[in-house]
Amino acid sequence: MKSTEDPVYRHSKREAIAILLLWGASFLWTVPYCYEYGYRTAGEELELDLFWGLPSWVVWGVAVPWVVCGLVAIGMCAFYIQDDDLEPAESLSSEVNSSESSNSS
Amino acid sequence: MKDVGMGGVSVSGILAVTASNAAIWTFGIYTIAVFVIAAFANRLLQGKSFLSEYFLGSRGLGMWAFALTFAATSASGGSFTGFPAKIYTHGWILALWISSYMVYPICTMGLLGKRVNQVARKSGSITIPDVLRDRFESPAFGIVAMLLIVFFLSFNLIAQFKAGSVLLQTLIEDAEIFQSLSHTCGLMIQGNSFFEGVEPGYFCCLLSFGILVILYTTYGGFHAVVWTDVLQGIVMVFGVAIMLPLTLSQVGGMRSGTELMAKMIPPRIASGRLDFDQATDQPVTLKDLWFGRTDEDGEQHLYRLSRSISLPAGATSAENVTFVELITPEEIDLQWKRLEENRSSSSATKVQEDITGAVGSGERDALNLAETEEIAKAYWPFDADSNPSVKPLMTVHFDEVQEYSYGAGEPGNYVSGPAPMGPSEAGRTDEDVAAAAGFLPLGMAISFFFMWAISGTGQPQYMVRLMAFKDSKTLRRAIITVTIYYGLIYFPLVIIFCYSRILLPGMENEADQIMPAMAVTLTEGVGHGWLAGLLIAAPFAAVMSTVDSFLLVISSALVRDLYQRNIHPSASDQTVKRLSYLTTLIIGSIALIFAINPPKFLQDIIVYVGSGLAACFLFPVVALLYWKRSNVWGCLGSMLVGFSSHLMMHIASWLQGGEFTNPVDLFGLGPVVIGLAASLLAVLIITPLTPKPSEKLVEKYFSVPSTT
Repeated sequence: MKSTEDPVYRHSKREAIAILLLWGASFLWTVPYCYEYGYRTAGEELELDLFWGLPSWVVWGVAVPWVVCGLVAIGMCAFYIQDDDLEPAESLSSEVNSSESSNSS
Repeated sequence: MKDVGMGGVSVSGILAVTASNAAIWTFGIYTIAVFVIAAFANRLLQGKSFLSEYFLGSRGLGMWAFALTFAATSASGGSFTGFPAKIYTHGWILALWISSYMVYPICTMGLLGKRVNQVARKSGSITIPDVLRDRFESPAFGIVAMLLIVFFLSFNLIAQFKAGSVLLQTLIEDAEIFQSLSHTCGLMIQGNSFFEGVEPGYFCCLLSFGILVILYTTYGGFHAVVWTDVLQGIVMVFGVAIMLPLTLSQVGGMRSGTELMAKMIPPRIASGRLDFDQATDQPVTLKDLWFGRTDEDGEQHLYRLSRSISLPAGATSAENVTFVELITPEEIDLQWKRLEENRSSSSATKVQEDITGAVGSGERDALNLAETEEIAKAYWPFDADSNPSVKPLMTVHFDEVQEYSYGAGEPGNYVSGPAPMGPSEAGRTDEDVAAAAGFLPLGMAISFFFMWAISGTGQPQYMVRLMAFKDSKTLRRAIITVTIYYGLIYFPLVIIFCYSRILLPGMENEADQIMPAMAVTLTEGVGHGWLAGLLIAAPFAAVMSTVDSFLLVISSALVRDLYQRNIHPSASDQTVKRLSYLTTLIIGSIALIFAINPPKFLQDIIVYVGSGLAACFLFPVVALLYWKRSNVWGCLGSMLVGFSSHLMMHIASWLQGGEFTNPVDLFGLGPVVIGLAASLLAVLIITPLTPKPSEKLVEKYFSVPSTT
């Protein structure tokens, strides 16, 4: 019988790449931003810049990206990640025995 | 050496009695609830394939159950003990430290979720070693994976058992029923060399916590664990939701809180000895104790006794005592006022009675007058004039005063990076480098961004949950739920515990107690001490939900991966069932016994285990799920290279005279990044050099029969 590429594999791979891009974007924004605006060298005078009562580097480097990433993640789950047909659960009741028998054979 | 005569002593528990009694009730209701859940879960085991149901819930988890069990398992005791302690100690930089939690749910659930679930279904796998073994038809691969899981998670299980017991102790230690139980326990273990140095209260809590978790996990299996996780997940989010507004109102809003933090200078850590004027006439525990003095220049000094000191009857001194000395003038002023206010409150009166009873007030007449004069200069809220029952009873001798290794004497470090680092964190092999770099230098910030989101994806105990959801719609909805859930927990935790520095200063040496201490402070501040029990239930729930999952993963590794698949494949369902119960019981009991005298540096062990598992499992699993060319040699090689490179960084530290749990850094990067990089390189290099996988396996896992 001819076979085609498993759509679950294809979709999962595509979705995993998109998720990695999101991780990469959050990393490339958060760490450099916080390092640039939230770090001081020893002895350097502190300039306290507040936003909403929090250090502004925390707001723009962590809090805002957190909200943005949350929204993007929710958007991806709602519109991008596909519903795929995984193997039906009811066929699994016999899986232990079947895997045992395949193992012993 | 600096000698300071001190007067007045406070002996009080972290929890008020009201809160402690509420906590006993909370614990009691919890116990009943989890056993009811376990009983229901056990009924589900009837009439289904035992192993699949016991270890995987028959792959039928719906959205709420899947989302909350995943969230609660990931949020271990560390989230409510170690993490708050770090926030307290280092300040706002922890927002960056934890920042990859912004993508944690989508990474840990979305990167592998759908695919690992599908592959597990195709192969009929119940555990992660099962998946590895079946994907390549290699029993050896399955056994190596099983051994690594048992190795790492057993360490973590002991650490979590201790965390749970310490929390429970903090929760209930002031309740009378617990104190009498603890006393009885103490008498029982007295004289037994195995229990030498074991605090009876801790031992009682370990037994209660351990037996509870072991029994419900053993009896109910996967579904019991999942449903209790759901209960615990709800408790956690409610705990945070209550604490945040209470904190903000008590520090006067975010602006005033952050401005005060910006002025904070890291404290000094002093060690020394306490001498008592009279021998104690009964066993006594000193804790939550402040010493104050005003020097010749009129400057005020405040010292907080670190941790509690248990003294037997007849003690005349306590050696190796540590104190935290506040340095920031604003902090001293604020805390001094608070102590003054407490002085006139009813709780202060109670404290005073405790002291006099504890150290033999009947002999006060024999007090040394010269020392009384000294005390007149020193200051303590319960001064001798207004409280005649409290006389100078102790003298403090400071032997050594240590400055912070980073940030000493300088304000602003709690609101900026790389953040202060205390002398107690020394012991690293690269101590000088670390001291110069602070708590979170850039390399470590990068490492932690990998650590959470990426290494979290590589944890087999989370992967096994990904094998349990019902369908892909459940996965999508669960990711959304956990994304919102974590947003509601982790960032608010940073805010709450940054400001805990203001409400509870001087706890640097006992920062792991900050969560229960905050629960009490916040709720008593609004006149609802009983609420503390509910708040402390949050971390307790977090530990419990992690321990039960680990327990099940370890026992499934032994029963399914070792016994059923390698030793006795034709074992009857009844045999497997009995063995599963027995193994869960035995593993739990062994962990409990080790937790009686647990190793030090528990938080470091948790980090070691988390990063080690990721270095071993992430890339082999990614390769077998997404790379058609992957083979057993590449994946097994990747696993072993990841394991050894990660281990080497810890061993290198130990060989250089440092602690095993404080690994060396390479290029400023932690073991998690190096281990993951080595593991990735290994799979990429070894795979093309070794034979291709069989067509049959590639066909099975990457193709579907064509419908045309």
